[in-house]
Amino acid sequence: MKLVLDRYAYLDSPVHRWQQSYKLIGLLSLIFAFAFVQNIWLLPIMVVITSILFTLSRIPVSFLIKRLRYPSWFILAVVFFLPFISGENIILQLGSLTLKEEGCWQALLISVRFFCILTVSLVMFGTAPFLSSIKAMRSLGLPSVIVDMSLLAYRYLEELSETLTTMQRAMKLRGFQPKGFTHRNLKVFSQLTGSILIRSYDRSLRIYQAMILRGYGSQTKIKKRQLKSTLVNSDRFSLIATSIAVITGICIMILELVLPSF
Amino acid sequence: MHIPDGFLPPQVCLTGYALTGGLTWYSLNQIKKDPDIQANIPKASLLTAAFFVASLVSIPVPPTSVHLIFNGLMGAVLGYYAFPAILIGLFFQAVMFNHGGMSTLGVNAIIIGAPAIAGYHLFRQREHLQGKRQILTKALSFAAGAGALLISASMFAVLLITCISPDMDVHAERTAILLSLVGYSIQAVVEGLFSVMLISFLEQVKPELLKG
Repeated sequence: MKLVLDRYAYLDSPVHRWQQSYKLIGLLSLIFAFAFVQNIWLLPIMVVITSILFTLSRIPVSFLIKRLRYPSWFILAVVFFLPFISGENIILQLGSLTLKEEGCWQALLISVRFFCILTVSLVMFGTAPFLSSIKAMRSLGLPSVIVDMSLLAYRYLEELSETLTTMQRAMKLRGFQPKGFTHRNLKVFSQLTGSILIRSYDRSLRIYQAMILRGYGSQTKIKKRQLKSTLVNSDRFSLIATSIAVITGICIMILELVLPSF
Repeated sequence: MHIPDGFLPPQVCLTGYALTGGLTWYSLNQIKKDPDIQANIPKASLLTAAFFVASLVSIPVPPTSVHLIFNGLMGAVLGYYAFPAILIGLFFQAVMFNHGGMSTLGVNAIIIGAPAIAGYHLFRQREHLQGKRQILTKALSFAAGAGALLISASMFAVLLITCISPDMDVHAERTAILLSLVGYSIQAVVEGLFSVMLISFLEQVKPELLKG
């Protein structure tokens, strides 16, 4: 299991040059504006905005399609069932099954919203190294406990995943074939999980000692001066880009409230 | 049990974020009361990563296989650190695998995280209740594991089915919720049994893991 999200974080594009803390604010407001949309007329506008943003980021389309593959199964299931169970106006009758108009529009709304929000999330986190995103969240006020926990968890995620793979391989080499739901199989899985927990716990004790030797815990509060300095030394381009994104989000929400319903 | 982006109306997403913010603030306050907070943060972080990795293991439950959520177990082992741990785990899952979404992160955190805290309090009762320690531990581990999953599954089913479309027939909704709960009850039993076995294993091999 490799974190492939920031594979394209080292490209050069206007979105890559957008400072991560500003990018998070701008694109998160865009995501919420998209989640706000209930009116079908706004869907083409959403798709156009998403396409422009994605094209500017220069992330390859194949990467987007690869990322969409796994969650699309869930969407497909819902989108397939919704036209048959939701709504009153019947547009097609197939034996005992009836295809309803409102269900079809709901299915379209959900799938387009899902696609647009997912693409914007990919642009948000895929155009900068993951650590920059966590640092940006820290500068925006995320509590230090959560920042420390996410940095450490991220750092050791891949190592623990490799440890798990090694342990599973060892189990297979010793003849473990989990074919059914038996007491023994469940016990073996629980002991596997227990071993991973114990190993990570023991590792954490050594990590903590290494951290305090390197000065962890000597600075307990984030100085408020740091927050101000990021605003003063801000990149003008980032500020403009964020303003555009936030204003676009607000316009979408206003249009949603003002436009006649479909 | 992760709601993807685009399924929920914005009011629900915002409420989810507000509730998550509140519960995170409360959990952090409880964490700050910990006298050994500096040492416990690396422990909680590594255990977060370990639970994340462990939830990727697929357990065969014929005719299919399940991925366990471990929220009750996380509550029992991590205490109040479980809520930030679950929030971080969900964030990683949303960003790395698109399992769950960014707009629904708050809602998902409440669905999975709040029962984890309930699981912690339930498991902690083994120190207060009277009875044979071993039996009490096993019973409370099962209750924490299965109970947390059932609460999560109920919240997930009710929220998704009622919010997905305003035009859905009430009877269809009720049937869908009942059907999904039947399916999740099986997973709850599996989680409960798994929790019992895991906690017994930890008690024998590393009891200090459970005292934190």
